[in-house]
Amino acid sequence: MSTATRTSSNSRAGNRSGSREPSGPQTPPGSVAERAPRRRISPERIAAGITLLALLAASIVALDNIGIDPAKMARSWSNAERFFTRVGAISFPEPGELLYLTGLTLGLVICGTLLAAVISVPVAYLAASNTTPGNGWRAFARFFGVLTRAIPDVVFAMVFVLIFSLGALPGILAIGIHSIGMISKMFADAIEQIDEGPRLAIRAGGGSKLQEFMAGVLPQVMPSWVATVLHRNDINLRGSVILGYVGVVGLGMQMSFAFKSLDYGLGLGFALVIFVLCVVMEVVSSAVRAAMLGIQPTGRGLGDRMLRGLRRIRPGSARLGVQAAAASPAAMLYRPWNSARVRNTVWGWIAAAVVVGSILICNIQWGDLVTVWAKVPAIAVQFWPPSFGSYEASTMFDAMGETIAIALAATLLTAIVSIVVGSLAARNVAPNSGVRGGMRLLLVVVRGIPEIILAIVLIVISGLGTQAGTIALAIGGVGLLGKLLADSFEEVKAGPERALTAAGASRLQVYAGATVPQGLRAMIGHTFYMIDCNIRSATLLGIVGAGGVGYYLLNASQGSHYGVVTAIVLMILVTVLLVEGLAIWMRRVFR
Amino acid sequence: MTNPQTPTDTVITLSSVTKRFGATTALNGASIEVKRGEIVVLLGLSGSGKSTLLRHVDGLEQPTDGSIQVLGENVPGLSGRPLRALRSKVGFIFQQFELVPSLSVLENVLTGALATLRGPRLGLWSYGRTNKLAALGHLDRVGLLDRAYQRADTLSGGQQQRVAIARALMQNPEILLADEPVASLDPESSDQVMALIREIALDRGLTVLCSLHQVDLALSWADRIVGLRHGEVVLDTTTVGLTKAQVMEIYGRVATTTRELQAIEAELLADTIAGSVR
Repeated sequence: MSTATRTSSNSRAGNRSGSREPSGPQTPPGSVAERAPRRRISPERIAAGITLLALLAASIVALDNIGIDPAKMARSWSNAERFFTRVGAISFPEPGELLYLTGLTLGLVICGTLLAAVISVPVAYLAASNTTPGNGWRAFARFFGVLTRAIPDVVFAMVFVLIFSLGALPGILAIGIHSIGMISKMFADAIEQIDEGPRLAIRAGGGSKLQEFMAGVLPQVMPSWVATVLHRNDINLRGSVILGYVGVVGLGMQMSFAFKSLDYGLGLGFALVIFVLCVVMEVVSSAVRAAMLGIQPTGRGLGDRMLRGLRRIRPGSARLGVQAAAASPAAMLYRPWNSARVRNTVWGWIAAAVVVGSILICNIQWGDLVTVWAKVPAIAVQFWPPSFGSYEASTMFDAMGETIAIALAATLLTAIVSIVVGSLAARNVAPNSGVRGGMRLLLVVVRGIPEIILAIVLIVISGLGTQAGTIALAIGGVGLLGKLLADSFEEVKAGPERALTAAGASRLQVYAGATVPQGLRAMIGHTFYMIDCNIRSATLLGIVGAGGVGYYLLNASQGSHYGVVTAIVLMILVTVLLVEGLAIWMRRVFR
Repeated sequence: MTNPQTPTDTVITLSSVTKRFGATTALNGASIEVKRGEIVVLLGLSGSGKSTLLRHVDGLEQPTDGSIQVLGENVPGLSGRPLRALRSKVGFIFQQFELVPSLSVLENVLTGALATLRGPRLGLWSYGRTNKLAALGHLDRVGLLDRAYQRADTLSGGQQQRVAIARALMQNPEILLADEPVASLDPESSDQVMALIREIALDRGLTVLCSLHQVDLALSWADRIVGLRHGEVVLDTTTVGLTKAQVMEIYGRVATTTRELQAIEAELLADTIAGSVR
């Protein structure tokens, strides 16, 4: 009876969808093994799989070559003890000077981020598929974004230091131009995800293209834009350390001077200040996000955590206020001064004050922006043609190879640790909330440490170069990759996990059978993102003495061999673009 | 409005308009004439081409074939400023309201004035005092003056649709197009919104072209009904003395697929049940 019912309902469903599936349970001849379709994998997937394996093998070889030897590390740890007894106490500069330097670093970073934020609006407008005036414009804007992202801000800073001499302007421009890539990409993605309805409504009412964008698109993407800019500001603050090494004023520069003059106590003091500043900035960003956007600090970042602890968030801060009754249109001409409006206005003025303060403290020589153009041709000539100068080509390729090796080895170490830590930090994988909380806290703490600071401190303490750089990158990466993996695992569908649990699978079997397969694509994507980040960071590590091509970059710049700078930048650019292309391909294949 | 016309002149004329999206034909030689001040309902099942037809009137779609005259303008031939000028005289009300969620109610209404302003605007101050007063007046008309400074997404569906009506009024329109304006609303808000549209239309002598799928509502609300099926006009009649059964009969005669017949049967069945309950 039940079989008959099922069959008839099957056949009806089959008819409705118009498929020609057999409607009855007839059994065709032949055994199941004969009738089962052969498993077919597309050639592209095979190629992608082989590439992944090759990358894995390369990473293992790289890790082996770098030779992270626990025995050696232990020996260097005794170095560290000797080092600390020699340094004595960590010292700080005068409070007044420290305050000024902190303000200068913050002001420079904020100015740079804001510059990028403003330029990103038109770039994103051209790059988003639904607002771009044409495919040519779109390709141009996307390429511009990729280019600014691929060239490290240090390289921009080197060039601008040369053009503008010393001061804040090179740093602002370097941060500003490099940040366009990330901000405009995130912004363009947000524009592509908007609800087209309100925009269509404005078009139907006779609005122009620009009016559509301002009134229909911008208000929708504003929250994501603010969030991206704040996030980028945090990243730029971390990155400002390294800019000091190539002559951008601020805390980073003073730290580099201290280390160069072997005043380790003072250098470590600066490192500590920068670390604290980064943490404070995360808290402030989180507070600003909450206040401006009505986004509750529900995230797992350090800032969000501290903010949650500090205050109880009132719900509904996004509301502009409800009035009891309105007498006439004229009486309603101005927005009433309720608490929401007062709060918005106060925040607005604070933001304006921060921006003005940032510009003032940077003491920008605006005249430079006008006079500099006369100098550009002469300097541009020095940068062209690219050459390896007095270096052997093989030396340079080896150096680039070393940078890639550091990046791959660090990514491998990061990935191994992150899969364990990230999995245990995911709610649906962790055996209990204690383990999850502990792992999340670990990730938050690791993420708070700028990896450049970590590298510098490791190099200074242990005296090792490449190994210290690799370990610094690997540790810093766990904070990011671990968090991304944990979030991805938490986002997988719970249904398959429940099904496996219901079928009697163990916790580890559920993890391997349901959680990992669903999260695999995200895992591959995030790992490639990590390689991408690490290659860029690895070039920077060379500047602080951790091996690779960065060392030659700094040397060439300080020795005025600008053709060599161009050659090295081109090598970095090609590598970064290759990795990016590979990442896009992988994401497409493992969709 | 610049040249006074007799109340009976034709403001919308579609002649044998055909629209194809790739292999599918959304409109198949549809012809309609709407006179000034008429309240017309486009009736049809989903996919019958109602939305596509409305979008052609506002120049949001280009016809594959046929001609479209609105307020004396040849719509497919317009672009740029003249097109925007025409659109500003034609208010459009959407099924999903299409307000900008993060903007205040008042600013959403003000976006209706964009066609009369030059350059992009963002923020209440950028629209000027005169426009603000006018917008507040329209909000008062739809009964939502007290919500002026609230975010649009904090309002209920019915309230949002009333804000959308105020936005359309901000354009000072001569024609009001409404695409399933109450399909996303509960019955009570739905009645409120339909009554409001009719009141405003009569007050201001607006021409209304509104798509609906509920036969009862269309009969009680419109002056005239135009039935669409597969992008073709299959019914065009005044509602005076027309009964639901007659409308259904016409649909029954032209319905060809089982799915359509089932939909019509369901409508009639629901009607019978409702009748017997009463």
